[in-house]
Amino acid sequence: MPRQGLRLVSPAFEAEALASLDSLYRAALRLTRVPADAEDLVQETYLKAFRSADTFEPGTNLRAWLFTILHNTARNRARDRARDTVAIDSEIVDRAADAPPPGSRASAVDTPESLLLRETLAPELQTAIDELPEQFRQAVWLRDVEEFSYAEIAKMLSIPVGTVMSRISRGRHLLFDKLKALRPANA
Amino acid sequence: MHNCDSLDPLVTPFVDGALPDADRRAVEDHLRKCPPCHSRVAAERAVHELLQARRSTLCRTTAPDALHLRCAEAAKRAETAELENLQNLRTQNLGTQNLGTRTQNPEPRTPNPLLRRTPNPLFSARLGPLALAASLVVVVGGAFVYQATDKSARVMAAELVADHAKCFAMNSALGTHQAASLVEQSMASSFNWQLHLPDTSRAELELVGARPCLYGEGRIAHIMYRHRGRPLSLFMLPETARAQEIVEVLGHEAAIWCANNRTFVLVSGEPRREVEQIASYVQASLH
Repeated sequence: MPRQGLRLVSPAFEAEALASLDSLYRAALRLTRVPADAEDLVQETYLKAFRSADTFEPGTNLRAWLFTILHNTARNRARDRARDTVAIDSEIVDRAADAPPPGSRASAVDTPESLLLRETLAPELQTAIDELPEQFRQAVWLRDVEEFSYAEIAKMLSIPVGTVMSRISRGRHLLFDKLKALRPANA
Repeated sequence: MHNCDSLDPLVTPFVDGALPDADRRAVEDHLRKCPPCHSRVAAERAVHELLQARRSTLCRTTAPDALHLRCAEAAKRAETAELENLQNLRTQNLGTQNLGTRTQNPEPRTPNPLLRRTPNPLFSARLGPLALAASLVVVVGGAFVYQATDKSARVMAAELVADHAKCFAMNSALGTHQAASLVEQSMASSFNWQLHLPDTSRAELELVGARPCLYGEGRIAHIMYRHRGRPLSLFMLPETARAQEIVEVLGHEAAIWCANNRTFVLVSGEPRREVEQIASYVQASLH
């Protein structure tokens, strides 16, 4: 078989891709929770990205493309590891996500919510995020911290856009309840 | 118009400012009338705003420097992977005696599973200039649309060197060997190029065969030789004119000259002096 023409990585593509390394690493850490595994995941992501640079659609979000590769790679790895039994049944998660957040509709929060959260300490916030169930944590983080669009997140997590929104919603409410519980006035 | 349940799917996009104006206004209307919905929206918005406000703190974790280096290395490796293959093919080609027995190209290199291996310094050194040339190729466009006149000699040479290696690898697999008369015939019919091939015996040249290049939509003629057993290519690009020069690219020398509105490029991995001599011999014989 004749081989394909040279498929090479342009310096601009390389630079832009590598600029996302820190945020990919943070994403990998959230997925693996083990620094060494996160590093491997990121490196594999870049190898794949550079080797398939010609499949990237110019004009689209390169960072989102990289995140998609990262999440796909992580999913494949998890699938390969049969012993990985802690994975949450995503159907159950989604059913939970579709249910109204507990207490959110019935109990009127008198204090303005943003004032309530203003005093949240950084470690408290980090811990609360870390304690969220995986699916909600990913969705909220990708939206509120990494600022990806619903469609981009849907592609990364391989779930419908509607599910992305319900997971974000559910995740935010869980986070709100956790943080609210930390404030003495509400204890 | 909204009841509380129908608001559900709109809350998150509302908080994110992703709703069309009409929907946004409808949600606002409802929120004014419904304190429970107002509070759940406010809760979601509070978290959204908190996370945004604390983004820099949350994103304080950075990847280790070593990982940055390894990923940059991954780019270089992907960049040179094809060329690396070509280099390997060329090397294997030079060493292969039983040309007829190989029926397929070697598998393309798969990524090394030991991702943290240190690259062989010799190999890196050799690939250094290749990476530069590789970048140039990309800048012009990997598809090699036939626009030889618009390209720098170096870029053209890089592409022809790549083709040189590929064709020899293919030929090694197929074991083709064509007689001079056949090559001359094919050049005349395919490229309207009436030529008499140089007398090979006087320059230690051995004719291997000819093929229309994979590149350039078949419009580039490629005649393959072995000089003292080592691959040597003569390319003919019709309807192009270039300055005469010799450039070193991808570990090869490419001697470029022009005659009768055709550009000729002789490519070989041999030393420059050697290549110059062969080029002038071929040039004198052809024109």
